[in-house]
Amino acid sequence: MNDNKLKAKDFITVGIFTAIIFAVEFLCGMLGLIHPYIVASYVIMIPLVGAIPMMLFYTKIEKFGMLTLMSILIAIIMFVAGMGWLGAPLIIISGVVADLIAKKGGYKSFKSTVISYGVFCLWICANYFPVIVTAKSYRQSLLDGGYSAEYCDNLFRAINSKTIAFLLILCFVFGMIGAFLGKAVVKKHFEKAGIV
Amino acid sequence: MIEIKNVNFSYKGSLDAGLHDVSLQIHDGETVLLCGASGCGKTTILRLINGLIPHYYKGELSGSVNVSGKRIEQTELYELASIVGTVFQNPRSQFFSVDTDGEITFGTENIGIPPAEILRRKSDVTKEFALEPLLDKSLFALSGGEKQKIACASVSALMPEIMLLDEPSSNLDWNAIGELAEVIRKWKAQGKTIVISEHRLWYLKDLVDRVIFLENGVILHEWSRQEFAAMSASELSALGLRPVTLEEQYIREFSGDLAALHSAEPAVMCDNDILIRDLYFTYHPPKYVLWKKKLCAEHSADYTLAVPELRLPHASVIGLIGRNGAGKSTFLRCLCGLEKDCPVQMVLDGETAFGKRILKKRYMVMQDVNHQLFTDSVEAEVLLSMPDESPEKAQKLIDELGLSGYEQTHPMALSGGQKQRVAICSALAADAEILLFDEPTSGLDHKHMTMVAALLKSLAKRGKTVIVSTHDPELISLCCDRILCLEKGRVRYLRKV
Amino acid sequence: MRPITLDPRTKLAMIFGVSFIVMVNAVTPLEWAIRIAITMIPILLMISEGKYAAAFRFSLLYGIALLLLKCFLSSESTGFLSAMLLGYCGIIAQFMPAMITAWYVIRTTKIGEFMSAMQKMHVPDGIAVSLAVVMRFFPTLKEEYSAISDAMRMRGIAFGGGKVSKMIEYRMIPLLFSCVSIGEELSAAAVTRGLGAPMKRTSPYELRLKAADWIIFGIFALFVGLFVAVKYLR
Repeated sequence: MNDNKLKAKDFITVGIFTAIIFAVEFLCGMLGLIHPYIVASYVIMIPLVGAIPMMLFYTKIEKFGMLTLMSILIAIIMFVAGMGWLGAPLIIISGVVADLIAKKGGYKSFKSTVISYGVFCLWICANYFPVIVTAKSYRQSLLDGGYSAEYCDNLFRAINSKTIAFLLILCFVFGMIGAFLGKAVVKKHFEKAGIV
Repeated sequence: MIEIKNVNFSYKGSLDAGLHDVSLQIHDGETVLLCGASGCGKTTILRLINGLIPHYYKGELSGSVNVSGKRIEQTELYELASIVGTVFQNPRSQFFSVDTDGEITFGTENIGIPPAEILRRKSDVTKEFALEPLLDKSLFALSGGEKQKIACASVSALMPEIMLLDEPSSNLDWNAIGELAEVIRKWKAQGKTIVISEHRLWYLKDLVDRVIFLENGVILHEWSRQEFAAMSASELSALGLRPVTLEEQYIREFSGDLAALHSAEPAVMCDNDILIRDLYFTYHPPKYVLWKKKLCAEHSADYTLAVPELRLPHASVIGLIGRNGAGKSTFLRCLCGLEKDCPVQMVLDGETAFGKRILKKRYMVMQDVNHQLFTDSVEAEVLLSMPDESPEKAQKLIDELGLSGYEQTHPMALSGGQKQRVAICSALAADAEILLFDEPTSGLDHKHMTMVAALLKSLAKRGKTVIVSTHDPELISLCCDRILCLEKGRVRYLRKV
Repeated sequence: MRPITLDPRTKLAMIFGVSFIVMVNAVTPLEWAIRIAITMIPILLMISEGKYAAAFRFSLLYGIALLLLKCFLSSESTGFLSAMLLGYCGIIAQFMPAMITAWYVIRTTKIGEFMSAMQKMHVPDGIAVSLAVVMRFFPTLKEEYSAISDAMRMRGIAFGGGKVSKMIEYRMIPLLFSCVSIGEELSAAAVTRGLGAPMKRTSPYELRLKAADWIIFGIFALFVGLFVAVKYLR
């Protein structure tokens, strides 16, 4: 029996945590309806809030593949939920890289967990892909379609192909900050209660 | 044939709940009941038989377990799937699918049975357990009893020769337990070997061939069906077991002909009674265009729950009974102010409360108490409820409820009964006057149930009004002053015990 | 009307087509016409399933958003309110087609069917199993969350005493505790029923592409082709 292969229990764990992460993403997405700027602040909100379940998830990872699998699931769900497939490569690549980094730390070292989670958080930027990839024609079409220049500027000042690099960095940084925060919560609750 | 020989087991990272030198033989076609207090090792024995120990739960294991000629240690779980089937305690967490059809066929899909055979088995179990009306439904819309039936069917579809049931009746009402007993009877007739771990004994007394009593991981007694049936209530309760006949007597009384009760004297009313008015609720609100219609007496005939007026005595324990689906939980939720559409008003000490104000002064201990513990220590949990955080008062409450020594422990690290007491603590800290309990004793053993009963009584002594919904006749006989019976969302009667 | 049942693979193709057309922006009236036409397909399918109310609500919302965009707002309209309104209408007009399709697919596909379709498309069992767990867990999360928020209201801590961090902590912690314990029990119940067996999973659902599937495929291919042609081959 190969102990490095994922087992049924691991698949279920991944499924459960993916559902939770997606619920976090969904709730934050709801806030995004209020104003375009909030859409840009996903890169801060989701890494921080998502860090709590993710740090708990990291304590349950022992083998390679769980983070990768999670990113694949996120990509599939994003696609089915009508968010397009453009972000899929970014989601899956950040998942695989995060998995490799965590593996290097033997899934135990906190240092590699922090970096790994920071990388994993890059998937959040996939939310912006539909906007960025089609940015130019999108802006034109918004204007042609009767949008005021003001709204377009608002939208694209925050999100465009130049700021995307900045947003990616923000994701990474806030992912790392979130990791510390999430770790603190895991210690405060789950370790104290003796379930990890 | 199941053969357990000199087994010692201890869970990894935990000192209790292991087994010590347990040997047990169960023959083909036998029905065996495992009983004893919580943590006595009943569940551990079942886990040995279905292979969850050592393949899923890790720990130290010595001795040998053989099931149908296979050594469990050397047999993969999936190989055991078609030999041993297990029905678990919690209907909420044991299903894998969202729809009933998928759940029934889940096991057969896993082990790669050809599609035609899967369909044949599905139609077989559907016929066998009369599941026709449940097919093609969402599992989330089913009652606990229905979920448990689907769980039995799903296991049955794998056609194992051994059936294990781990406290299957914990979350069921009397009707659903009757149906469960029917399922077990069918399995018995098919010659299956059945092992049941259970606290509620009455529904099994005519089904089992042998009863095994465990304490602290050791087999202490073994009785045949006749010996077991002959045991008196006091003998059973000395062993910490629930009575075998009491429930049946109550079931006859509650669900049977109630003619005798119409003569029951109307309870005498006093001035400080709690008056409840206009408690209406419906799951099928009338269609509206712009704003909801307020629920009112005029249309109450169509409502799921309608209690125009009800007086409850102050400072007493009131047992709320009724079948599943009679509206007990909804009644409690309305009283608590959790159902926004319910226009209920409450008169307490001459003050009328309605709307959001209802939420104050009332507190419900939920069936799953895990949902209402938020902080990282018992003390913080109690302080959180206090309008003015006073550590002395908190400490006093913690001591009174027997939680001293646990002030800094994480609530989630406590046992189920302790968690319940933490929740009660925070209710008292919030100065709640009316305490509501939603089935506080489901899944508890005899000892813990009597503890809950004593606790409820002491709350009434403090001047709190306690309303407790339950399927446990023993709890009613131990602590309730009044019985409030709901039927189809209407008050059937309120009487003294 | 008899519901038109589609193969899950057809449904995935529908999502693919719709999100493609939504992604590439429509400018000319013809492009808009294609986009609206393609949005009508899931709405019609919903009606055939008897989900009239949902179909009505979706089309109403979509219609209003389109009307507002086309008739009442122009590039002259400035100011915060109209920008907001525009923003909403823009989002609805842009993403509603994809959302309707997703809603239709999620509502009408059983998990068993979906897994069987994934198998036919040679997706590994691990992904299929995890995905099934995700789907099963959404309603569970909803149940648990509503119980927790009831408990919070009872305690008067729904707003965490005004602190955002507490608001999140009080919601997240009990939820995670529940999820972990449900997960444990779920795994135990699943492995005793053979989950994780090395043999290929089977499925009682027999998937075959029927006439309806080919018709939908055809319509979508036509629309997507037309759209590309109009857009790029001009």
